[in-house]
Amino acid sequence: MMISLQQVQKKFGAQIAVDDLTLVVPRGEIFGLLGHNGAGKSTAIGMMLGQVWPTRGEVKVCGFDVTIQRTRALQQVGAIFETPAFYDYLSGRRNLEILSHYTAPTSPERIRQVVDWVGLTGREQSAVKTYSHGMRARLAIAQALLPAPELLIFDEPGSGLDPEGIAEMRQTIARLHRELGLTILLSSHLLGEVEQLCTRIAVLNHGRKVFEGQIADIKAARGRVLLKTPDFGTAVALLRERGIITGAVDGKSVVLHEGRTTAEAARILVEANIPVEGIWLREQTLEDFYLDLVKAAAPAADRN
Amino acid sequence: MFFAQLKNELWKLFGKKRTYIGFGAFVLAQAVMLLMFKYTHWQSRLEQLLAQNGYLAADYISALTVALVMLWPQIALLMPLYVTLVGGDMVAKEVEDGTLRMILSRPISRLRLLLVKWLAGVVFAAVLVLALGVIALGFARLYFPWTGMFVFPQPNSTFGLFPPDQGLVLYIFSHLFMVVNAVTLLSLAFMFSCFNMKPAAATILALSFLFVNVVIQHIPFFEEYQNWFITHHLECWYWVFQQPVQWPQILQSVLTLLAASATAFLIGAMGFQVRDIKS
Repeated sequence: MMISLQQVQKKFGAQIAVDDLTLVVPRGEIFGLLGHNGAGKSTAIGMMLGQVWPTRGEVKVCGFDVTIQRTRALQQVGAIFETPAFYDYLSGRRNLEILSHYTAPTSPERIRQVVDWVGLTGREQSAVKTYSHGMRARLAIAQALLPAPELLIFDEPGSGLDPEGIAEMRQTIARLHRELGLTILLSSHLLGEVEQLCTRIAVLNHGRKVFEGQIADIKAARGRVLLKTPDFGTAVALLRERGIITGAVDGKSVVLHEGRTTAEAARILVEANIPVEGIWLREQTLEDFYLDLVKAAAPAADRN
Repeated sequence: MFFAQLKNELWKLFGKKRTYIGFGAFVLAQAVMLLMFKYTHWQSRLEQLLAQNGYLAADYISALTVALVMLWPQIALLMPLYVTLVGGDMVAKEVEDGTLRMILSRPISRLRLLLVKWLAGVVFAAVLVLALGVIALGFARLYFPWTGMFVFPQPNSTFGLFPPDQGLVLYIFSHLFMVVNAVTLLSLAFMFSCFNMKPAAATILALSFLFVNVVIQHIPFFEEYQNWFITHHLECWYWVFQQPVQWPQILQSVLTLLAASATAFLIGAMGFQVRDIKS
C-alpha cells in the first residue's frame, strides 16, 4: 500500500476537519479524492505529507508512519499543489536545485532529463516570474519528479488552468502513470478529469468519507433512462402506475425499477398512444453520481 | 547536503532585489551622515571640544572617528529595522507565499530546515554588519585623513582617544560584537516568524519587544536591573572603546546575547514543530 490512513481525525480547535477517515491507496493506482470546498481533502493530503498533524489515527505513506518517520515516508514522494509557488526571482533551474536538495543531492544530468521530460528545455534559465501558468505547472511537475518518486500527490492541479492547460495536465498525469508507473493520488474538483484518469475514488463530505470504490463500478451502476416524449408528465405517471419506474429526474430522465427494462417502458407508452421519440439508458457519469451522493449526505451533515 | 541546503538558503536571501535595496538604503544613510558631519556645525563643534581639552582637531577628526559617527544612526535605527524585517520574513514569508508547503512535502525535518534558514540569517547579518563597517570606513577615508580616533563619551566615562592602529583594532572588535547584536535581533524576529503570523507581524513584534525593553531599561527604578534587559547587552559593541576595556563585562553581554539567540531559535523551533502548515 502506498498510502494508508486508519481512522484519522483532525481537529482545528473545536472544528473537525477530517473525521474517522480510513483510506487505502494501492501501488500503481490513480486514486481520486473528491469533495466540496472544505470537505477535508487538503487537510487529508497535508496529513499524508506531514504538514498537518493528525489529532487521532495513523497515517502511513510508503509503509512508514508519517508522524514518526516523516523523512523516510517522504523519501520517494512528490507533491504538486493548487497554485505552485516558487521563488519567482530565481530561474526555473535554480528553483529545481533548491527544492531537490531538500530530498537528496541531484545531478545536473537528472535535472536536465526532468526538464526535458516536462518540456521546459530552453526556458529553464529564465526567471520563474516570466513563466506562464502552464509553464509553472510543468515546473511543479518537474520538481516533484526530481527525487524519482514512486508516489505523486496532486492537490487540485487544474485550478487556474485554461482548458488547454487542463487537457495538458490530464495528458501529463496519464503519461506519468503509463510511462513511469507512478502511483498517483489526485484531489480535484474537475469531475470530468477524475473520471477520465482515475481507477478508484473516495468522496469526502464535511470531513467524512461517504464513498470509496471503482470508477468502473460507478459507471456500470444502474443509471437513468433518458425519455424523449412530447408528454413527459403523462408518460411518467403511467410508468410509475405500472411499476416500471421509481420516479423522474431533471424533467427528462426516469429511474427504472430493479428488473425493469427500457423495452417494457417503450411498449407500455406506445400501447397507451403516448409518442416515444427516443428512449435509451444513460451511462451514469461521475458528476451524476457525485451530486446524488452529496445531496444524500447533506441532510446527515446538517443534522450533525 | 547540509551545506548545499545552506547555500540554497543563501541563494534565496541574496537573490532578492529587496536585499540589495536594503543595503543601498544603508549606504545612502551613511553618505547623508558623512555630508552632515562635513557640511554642518557638527565638525566645528567637535573641533571645539577637542581644542577645549587640549587636543589638535587635525589629529583626531579622522576617517575612523567619522566612520563611527556614521554608524550610530544605523545601529540604533536602521539595523534593527532591517534585520528584524529579514528575520521576520524567513519563515512567515515562505508560508505566506506557499513555498514552505512545497519544501515540507520533501523529506527534510522541520528542525533541520529551520537550522539552515537561521544559519543563512546569521551569515546575512554578519555580511551586512561587516559590509557596512567597511563601506563606512571607505567613505570616511575619501574625505578624512588616517589619523587618531575620537570616540564620544559613554555614561560614567570620558571620551576616548586612540592612535590609528589601536583605533582600527577596536573598530574591528566593535563590529564583531555588532554581528552578535544583529544575530540576536534576527533571531528574535525569526522566532516570531516560526509561529502562525504574517511576516510584518513577526517584525513588529520583535521591534515592539526591543522598544519595551528600551523604555523599561531607562526607567530609574530599573537602573539596578540593567543586566535583565537585552537592549543593555546590545550596547556591548560600544564598550570596547572604554579605557580600560571591560572585557569580562563585554564577554558577559556577548554570552547573554548568544544565549538569547539560541533560546529564541529553540522557542521558534518548538512552535514550528507543532504547528500545522496549511495553504
